[in-house]
Amino acid sequence: MDERNKKVADRIRQVTAALLALIIVGFSCAFFFSEKVDFSEGENRYLASFPAFSMESLKDGSYTEGIRSYLSDHFPFRDLFMGVKAETEIALGKREINGIYIADDGYLIEAYAEPENTERIVEKFGKFYETVSAEGVSVSLMLAPTASVIYRDKLPVFAPEHDQMETRREISERSGVPFIDCYDALMEAKDGEEPLYYRTDHHWTSYGAYEAYAVYCEEKGIRPLDLDELIKKEVSEDFRGTVYSKLNDDRLAKDTITIFENPKNRLTVYYTDTGETSDSLYEFSYLDKKDKYSMFLNNIHSLIEITNETADSERELVLIKDSYANSMVPFLVNHYRKIYVFDTRYYKKGPSSFIREHPEVTDVLLLYNMNTIDTDLGVGGIY
Amino acid sequence: MVFSSIPFLFFFLPACLILYYAVPFQLKNMVLLVFSLIFYAWGEPVYIVLMVFASAVDYTNGRLMERFGADDRKRRIFLCSSVVINLSMLGFFKYADFLVETVNSLWHVSIQPLGLGLPVGISFFTFQTMSYSIDLYRREVKTEKNYLTYLTYVSMFPQLIAGPIVRFSAVNEELHQRTIDREGFAEGTIRFMQGLFKKVLIANQAGALWESIRAMEAGSVSVATAWLGALCFTLQLYFDFSAYSDMAIGMGRMLGFHYLENFRYPLSSVSVTDFWRRWHISLSSWFRDYVYIPLGGNRVSRWKHLRNILIVWFLTGLWHGAAWNFVLWGLYYGVLLILEKYVWGKQLERLPLLIRHGYALLIVVFGFVIFVFDDMGQLASYLTSMFGMAGNRLFGTEFLWYVGNNLVLLAVALLLAFPVYPFVKERIGRLESKRFAACSALSAAGYLALLFLTTAYLVHDTYNPFLYFRF
Repeated sequence: MDERNKKVADRIRQVTAALLALIIVGFSCAFFFSEKVDFSEGENRYLASFPAFSMESLKDGSYTEGIRSYLSDHFPFRDLFMGVKAETEIALGKREINGIYIADDGYLIEAYAEPENTERIVEKFGKFYETVSAEGVSVSLMLAPTASVIYRDKLPVFAPEHDQMETRREISERSGVPFIDCYDALMEAKDGEEPLYYRTDHHWTSYGAYEAYAVYCEEKGIRPLDLDELIKKEVSEDFRGTVYSKLNDDRLAKDTITIFENPKNRLTVYYTDTGETSDSLYEFSYLDKKDKYSMFLNNIHSLIEITNETADSERELVLIKDSYANSMVPFLVNHYRKIYVFDTRYYKKGPSSFIREHPEVTDVLLLYNMNTIDTDLGVGGIY
Repeated sequence: MVFSSIPFLFFFLPACLILYYAVPFQLKNMVLLVFSLIFYAWGEPVYIVLMVFASAVDYTNGRLMERFGADDRKRRIFLCSSVVINLSMLGFFKYADFLVETVNSLWHVSIQPLGLGLPVGISFFTFQTMSYSIDLYRREVKTEKNYLTYLTYVSMFPQLIAGPIVRFSAVNEELHQRTIDREGFAEGTIRFMQGLFKKVLIANQAGALWESIRAMEAGSVSVATAWLGALCFTLQLYFDFSAYSDMAIGMGRMLGFHYLENFRYPLSSVSVTDFWRRWHISLSSWFRDYVYIPLGGNRVSRWKHLRNILIVWFLTGLWHGAAWNFVLWGLYYGVLLILEKYVWGKQLERLPLLIRHGYALLIVVFGFVIFVFDDMGQLASYLTSMFGMAGNRLFGTEFLWYVGNNLVLLAVALLLAFPVYPFVKERIGRLESKRFAACSALSAAGYLALLFLTTAYLVHDTYNPFLYFRF
């Protein structure tokens, strides 16, 4: 390197170093001056709070670890950085980030994790079935496959996807609960015009739920309503759901939320935990928030009583479910005078005693999706 | 506190540097000492006592050696006292349980293990302070008269927990007199950033890939993927470890110290002998100067030379962790070095360069498989996958998946593992000045962009391990 180049190099190095130092100090200052929030809408989770000091926590390292999480959780531009990271990784050829496949047609598909609780699920379902079927009600089980199996052909090439169908078969066969299989119907409809799953959320759409509903009706000898008989409404066009939240990459697609309403229905929706009553299955205020899917049945409630005075039968249904069912209920209400919707993560008394105390209940449907059935603790509350 | 973390990078380091630069020279060591103690206490609030104790012992022995300057017998006693105390500390905290477990399994007894946590960096700081005592005994360094200065040397946070092993002789003078200027700050910052980028953007990513391959079942991982995993761990360890040294050297430079290089592109070696001249140089030269040469080195009969090599490599292996795989890893290199010395070294040199690179890389990658599994059962199981003896296929689509997802990462890592960067830098230096300025400005922009990207990765670090807890 000649003298002149060396001088230039030294100058540029000093400027670069100064800028790098400035950026770092800039971020630290921004940290002190930025407003701290407790809940991250972007990531849909509570952020770490500053740890409480104790000799114990200092000694075992949890105090300093707590400071570390506090600092990174409240770091300025946290959501933006998440997007930058995801965008970079996609650009560098990554097709799986944080357990999310970057699939075709703008789909973000959650990878199906190795199941760990199959034994326990089989046991809970089996016991529940034994107890409840003795009461003379008709019990059925529906396990919704997730997008990673229905939209398998959208997954990136060579994606190492675990087989959830095997687990599904095992649960349905070993638990002994009469099984209603919506797989074939979803597979048949998957190439249709309407999306069966959201691109940015782990739930199925109203169309996906409808396919499963139609299969359920067929099995139960109910005539399913045609979609044309209902009023279709597109309530949101900029929905970005839970799967998006794991990447926060602004350049990814948005989803449309479509709902179907029957104007003839006269509904009373009673949320037993909060004591609120509504005449709609939807809570539209969620559409202004990040977590828009929660508009179906007002998010999470331990027990909801839905009465439909214009239902086409006097039958009563106990629905034990996860959030997949929330978008199927709008179809089911047409056929049941009363639906009791249980979320067994929060309903602690066990639905079987409820069923014993309510002899007017005629049907029970267990409805879970294959992903959260294993990861969520909801199944534990069934029996 | 690890360097590649939000608390260190955005809070600890700026606070330390601002204060360090603000105070007059007489106080700079004090600032450094206080921050170093906070740094250590952050991760080891209890064992910090050990470090202070170890340096007090060596400081005192040093002063006593000075006092009895003419009496070599007495000086030897103080040297022994220093070495014995340091090695006992290391032995007690690092190797006691290993010994207990070995005795238990050999004689089928059940002695209760102590279950002590390993103090972070103990292998580094005990080796540093021993170098002081030994050099002092050899009259190669001056006695340090100020305990706080000595403690500053031992505890200095840039090299405290992951090396390099900085000998007292290397910083003796700079502890008392050093230049702290803009040039040093600039060079140090750049060097630190290189290390930071290497750690966060390459080592952690290669490590995450290794972890997912490692987690696969022996029967389901193909031979190709098993080797890819071994390569990924090699890349992770090299980029992680050398990144720590880069960051240490960089921070030392910002503070006015010049540390010696610790890695010189070890993955581009052409032989095992060459590899150990390039990998963790501060450790291998420590063993060379304080164990191998005192044992007689190679200026003894052939049998004694072999013995010396095996002793040194047994110890080198053991230094990396209290488990048999580390000993095995050390002896693996001991044997290979002997073979190169006495059997195929000459023939090797006549082979084409490409083959020699391949030979060395293969040995190194295979060696790190021994290094990474401290459970012999897991090691055996992984080796059976690597050689297709687990009933696994030669090749599977999962290999394509991993390579496809990490193509850029692997390509960049492999390029940077070879001296491509200095080569390009040298070429650019020869450009005429306008073009040179343009290239330099571009590289400056690159640094800024990479700092943003690194911050993004740090804020959302899913995998950011500290690999040297066992050292």
